[in-house]
Amino acid sequence: MAKGMFVDTTICTGCKACQVACKQWNGLSAEPAHFGKRPGVPYPVADNFTGDSYDNTGTLSATDWRHVRFIEQIDESRREKRWLFSSDSCKHCSDAGCLNACPTKAIVRTDLGNVVVQQETCIGCKFCIPSCPYGVISFSEETGTAHKCTLCNDRIHNGLGTACAKACPTGSIRFGELADLKKRADARLAQLKGKGEQARIYGYEEADGLNVFYLFADRPKVYGQPEDPVVPQRRLVLCSLVTILTALGVGAAALVSFRERLNGRDEEENHES
Amino acid sequence: MSPEIIQPPEWAWYYIAVYFFVAGTSAGAYFIGAMEELFGSGREREVSRAACYIAFPLLILVPIPLIADLGRPERFWHLFIYNQGGYPYLNLISPMSVGSWVLLIFSVCTLLSFLDNLVADRVISFPLFSRYYNRIPRRLYAVFGSLAGFFIAGYTGVLLNVTASPFWAATSPFMGALFIVSGASTGAAAISLYLIWRRRNSGGEVERLEAFDRVVMVSELVLIALLLILAGRTALPLMTLPFVAMFWLGTVALGIVAPLWFKYRFRRHPFGDAPVLAHYLCILAGGLLLRISLLQAGQL
Repeated sequence: MAKGMFVDTTICTGCKACQVACKQWNGLSAEPAHFGKRPGVPYPVADNFTGDSYDNTGTLSATDWRHVRFIEQIDESRREKRWLFSSDSCKHCSDAGCLNACPTKAIVRTDLGNVVVQQETCIGCKFCIPSCPYGVISFSEETGTAHKCTLCNDRIHNGLGTACAKACPTGSIRFGELADLKKRADARLAQLKGKGEQARIYGYEEADGLNVFYLFADRPKVYGQPEDPVVPQRRLVLCSLVTILTALGVGAAALVSFRERLNGRDEEENHES
Repeated sequence: MSPEIIQPPEWAWYYIAVYFFVAGTSAGAYFIGAMEELFGSGREREVSRAACYIAFPLLILVPIPLIADLGRPERFWHLFIYNQGGYPYLNLISPMSVGSWVLLIFSVCTLLSFLDNLVADRVISFPLFSRYYNRIPRRLYAVFGSLAGFFIAGYTGVLLNVTASPFWAATSPFMGALFIVSGASTGAAAISLYLIWRRRNSGGEVERLEAFDRVVMVSELVLIALLLILAGRTALPLMTLPFVAMFWLGTVALGIVAPLWFKYRFRRHPFGDAPVLAHYLCILAGGLLLRISLLQAGQL
């Protein structure tokens, strides 16, 4: 039975408890210090602040398997303001680009539907990184392998929920069976629409369905998610066909170049004799 | 698609683009040699001999950059054997997985052809070797080798096309086609250089090679134009430094247009002096810069 998560971004408060819980459970190293000493400056200087609201994580990475996005929306008159939050992670796609791309079977799907990088098998070829349409998977210079969220593989195979869902104080991140989560998501969507709010579910159709799906209050692009994600391997057949046709074309060009001249030469020789 | 979230693999150009170039040139050369082997008169074997002497030594270099770019180089064998089950592993929808296996097959074919030519040229005189290699039908492994060679030249482009990187994805499905055509062109240039070096560049086979190369280079220009039209705004990095110098000046102007002009201008009396040598070197440099530009532009 497939398990997953439903992230209701409309009740997220941006507390980052999920980020901290993820790091603690999975033993991921901390962020680099945001302040450092600079020669000649008597006070600590902020050297890696993003300047993007409260977000200094920036992106998902080999040590940040969860990333809370802060989106400040202010209209031109500066009267209407809205602060959106979204806790992002691996979507554990039903048709996963990273898993399709992996040449060593290092990336596998478990019986619970989550997609995991087997660290002892990964060779660090990095092909999975651009194969993810969500920019989730990252390379670690420290281990020489690819890393991403495992949906707390160890916890969920021992009857526990994910660390982030457990730590979430508002119930924004819910872990459970996909069918139950979808019922909950549909009910919440209907409730919001009933109140006249704009909301949409992200992850029902994308990549044959995402095991981690979202309720957004705006377009996916606003949350940094692709509007129309494509599993890259779906281009494989067309790309291969065009390449094969080109190979045939080059072969034909070679055949004409080599054959014609050869025949011409033979004819000349016959004529001379 | 939201380009800003796609992470680049950060493949080092001096490993991966160089691999694309060396493997493409080796495959292109082998294919041209196989064509002469299969469709030539059998009396003139200069081109196929040169192709075999180029393809295998170039291919020996290939594992070095490929393995060096891995995060865990000592585990490269996981590409062939699943380490947790101990059985051979092939992922048919991963160009990297299929490419690794075909590279192995292509290496065997180029090695057989290389040894066969050493025997034919009496460099190897060990009787057992001579008897053994003479028995293997030369044309059979030329067929298999050229098919594998086509795959090697083209799959690297397909590999880039089937990613989510905006530039590589937008150029789908023509990157593989461009790499095949470029491989054929650089392969032909490598053969010509070899023939000049060995002073065997005066026969009719070189004339045929030149005719083939002219067609291939025109196709390369058409494919580049098609690729850029498809790429649209995602190709904007190619308009900035250092890509303007590498791609437009290096690949397009010096690597394709100038040699093509030279080939048409001097097609009646093509060989013999220094500019000829220079134009082949330009084609090779252009092929390398093409790979570097397309690889790096997709990783920005």
